Amino acid sequence: MIPMSFINPLSDEGKQIVREDGGDLDRIFDENDDIIDAVNSITAQEISDDAYIPKSYVDLVIKRVEWYVDKKSDPKYNHKKYAFLFYPEIAKFDVIAFYILCQAIGIKYGPNSRESRAVSELQGQIIENRLEELYERDRLEIVDKIMNILIVQDRIKWTSLADLLSSKKINLQDLVLKDGNVILDREDFMEYFKDVVKLQQPERMYNVFIGNRIKELIMIKMIMQNTENYIKNVHEIAGREVEPNATLLKIAEEVADALSKEIRYYGGGDSGGEVKASPLNIEKFPPCIRKSLDGIKSGGRNEVIVLFLTPFLSYARLYPSVFSRNTTLKVSDVDADLKITQNEILPMIYDAADRCSPPLFDDQPQEKININAKLGFGMNDNLNLQHEGETTWYTPMSCEKVKLNMPNLCRPDKTCKGITNPLSYYNRKMREK
Amino acid sequence: MEFFKQATPEERKIYYREEWDVNQVPNFILGQLENREFGFDHFGRGPNDRYKTFNSPEYLKRFMRSKTPFAAYCSVAFYEKPRKREGWMHAELVFDVDAKDIPIRTCNCDNVCEICLNEAKEIVGNIIDTLKSDLGLKNIHLSYSGRGYHIRVLDESVMEMDSDVRSQVLKYVVGADVPNDKYENRGQIYTLRPYSIPFGYPKVFTDRIKYSILHLTKDSKIEGISKNLLNKTLENRKFIEENQWGDFLNKLDPNHPKTGARNYNKLINSIASLNMSLVDGKVSIDLKRILRLPSSLHSKVSMRCTEVKNIDTFDPFKDAVPKFVWERKD
Repeated sequence: MIPMSFINPLSDEGKQIVREDGGDLDRIFDENDDIIDAVNSITAQEISDDAYIPKSYVDLVIKRVEWYVDKKSDPKYNHKKYAFLFYPEIAKFDVIAFYILCQAIGIKYGPNSRESRAVSELQGQIIENRLEELYERDRLEIVDKIMNILIVQDRIKWTSLADLLSSKKINLQDLVLKDGNVILDREDFMEYFKDVVKLQQPERMYNVFIGNRIKELIMIKMIMQNTENYIKNVHEIAGREVEPNATLLKIAEEVADALSKEIRYYGGGDSGGEVKASPLNIEKFPPCIRKSLDGIKSGGRNEVIVLFLTPFLSYARLYPSVFSRNTTLKVSDVDADLKITQNEILPMIYDAADRCSPPLFDDQPQEKININAKLGFGMNDNLNLQHEGETTWYTPMSCEKVKLNMPNLCRPDKTCKGITNPLSYYNRKMREK
Repeated sequence: MEFFKQATPEERKIYYREEWDVNQVPNFILGQLENREFGFDHFGRGPNDRYKTFNSPEYLKRFMRSKTPFAAYCSVAFYEKPRKREGWMHAELVFDVDAKDIPIRTCNCDNVCEICLNEAKEIVGNIIDTLKSDLGLKNIHLSYSGRGYHIRVLDESVMEMDSDVRSQVLKYVVGADVPNDKYENRGQIYTLRPYSIPFGYPKVFTDRIKYSILHLTKDSKIEGISKNLLNKTLENRKFIEENQWGDFLNKLDPNHPKTGARNYNKLINSIASLNMSLVDGKVSIDLKRILRLPSSLHSKVSMRCTEVKNIDTFDPFKDAVPKFVWERKD
């Protein structure tokens, strides 16, 4: 039987393991024969190098992270090298490694960090891979068992999944809904939809469309959310302590090092090397920006020029890597005398405003002040370094927000696939050269 | 008699002093009046008199009668201190369908007319159906805004939701995203087009696409759809009317098993983008929006913003025209 903690380390069973075996932080760097034996006992793996075997709890923590990074970014990724992560023989050790990882990240980086998001995503992917290795019957059984505990009530209301929806871990459109309930159960499906499914066998439709797919999806996302909640708790408790645990801080740094190989992948589908500040290349702009530069002929001129175009052009010119770096900058950090802003960025914004119908500043001259505000220079007539910081330099709007606020602008092309921010599109194109 | 003509200051006075009654303000607003922010437009230049509060209907009544505003609004949000817009408690989930902005209209009017107002009503009816049947929401109110409709959801289970979730609900009910059509089961990939899935979001999407295609005219201009594809769509939409989507697809892309469903995909992708404009998305995701106060006068068009009790029988040209309009001499 598959241990529940192997899929959900935050289950009672998982907590019990930590209580019994995970207490001694001083020994987690030590070589542990039990871990080595458990890994060696798994046959479905390729251990051509001794270094592939985790020898301590901390080693196991780092292996988890390395797997996640390699799988995502190494073109020569070899699954067999990490196969031990997906077999229940290591369940007990893996649970402890999970807690060490979460505690280290919670203490050092906190809940809203990239590292925290990576740990939650890593956990989700480990669960997915583990489920794939199971026999169908075991898979159905374990998912049912875990879901029964995670979901207290018989039927799940979609409104109870608001956190998951908000964090975009699931999308409302992925759920099959009826009267507000998320339909997961076969009998419920048959009761509601048997009569309307005409082109296919209802049974087959259930298996294809819902089956275990949505159930697993929800379960994985709930565990990911719980992982984030756990990291948050650790962070809050650590904040009340005089001195954070040095061992965990050290592990957190090692984890961050391992993740840094991959960290550039954050920031909305923006992958590859960092794009440096350089003159704007209109050819590389996404369709929505090109359309905005042509001027807006109907409503929504202010939003497009002030809220959409101004942040995009300023960041694309001055700080295109804003999403892949963890640092907030001011315009003057890059453009000390504001010459680039005055001579390159503002003229482009003003030209687009003039191409609007009617020209934006003809009837709304105050929007020039709003543009200055969005660049971080407060509600002032001119860009003046003394006023910098009175307002925030707005970051470019995401594709999601563009679709909602200015649906007419979004006409995606092939490059838009997988892109979540127009700036990421620009960076991707700039890297192509 | 001319509809949609701006009301004069004199007509506003007549309306608020002789016709308007504070009891026409719906209970869902009067019931928690003290937690809402009110905003007013006195000169027809936008609601710049904001942060107003009223502790009782009597105060609201006195204010309206003395100021006879050009337009009156109240917040969708409830605040502990509405005068400062502080202590946000929760907010109605709102869908704003403006007949003037519907992307596919069968009329060619410049502003709004009976035809597009009816089309707005149909769209509103479809959205409300989905809110009830799929999302299971209750406490849904509808008001005629003067040029369209506001759907106002006061179901407690959604009132605390953030903008991200509201945007997902919006996209769900308007059918703004083309559903995934590849499904994996036991290692096999199945392709299921939305029209072959009669439940969940694919069903909503199919219904919305159907509505839009059936309302296209030969003059419709849709980005991404050529004149040729538009004509082909119009010629064959009888199949959709009878829900024969497979036949429709065959007509649009006769060799689709070999060459792919290029025309079909182009059509549904373009219409999905267009569906996003059925509702003003900004209103739905704004947690602090102010909306026209039902019962107040939309002075720009001389129509009464009215709570709609029965969508099937509601007729704005009977139920939302103030008396002074009928009495106009010109």
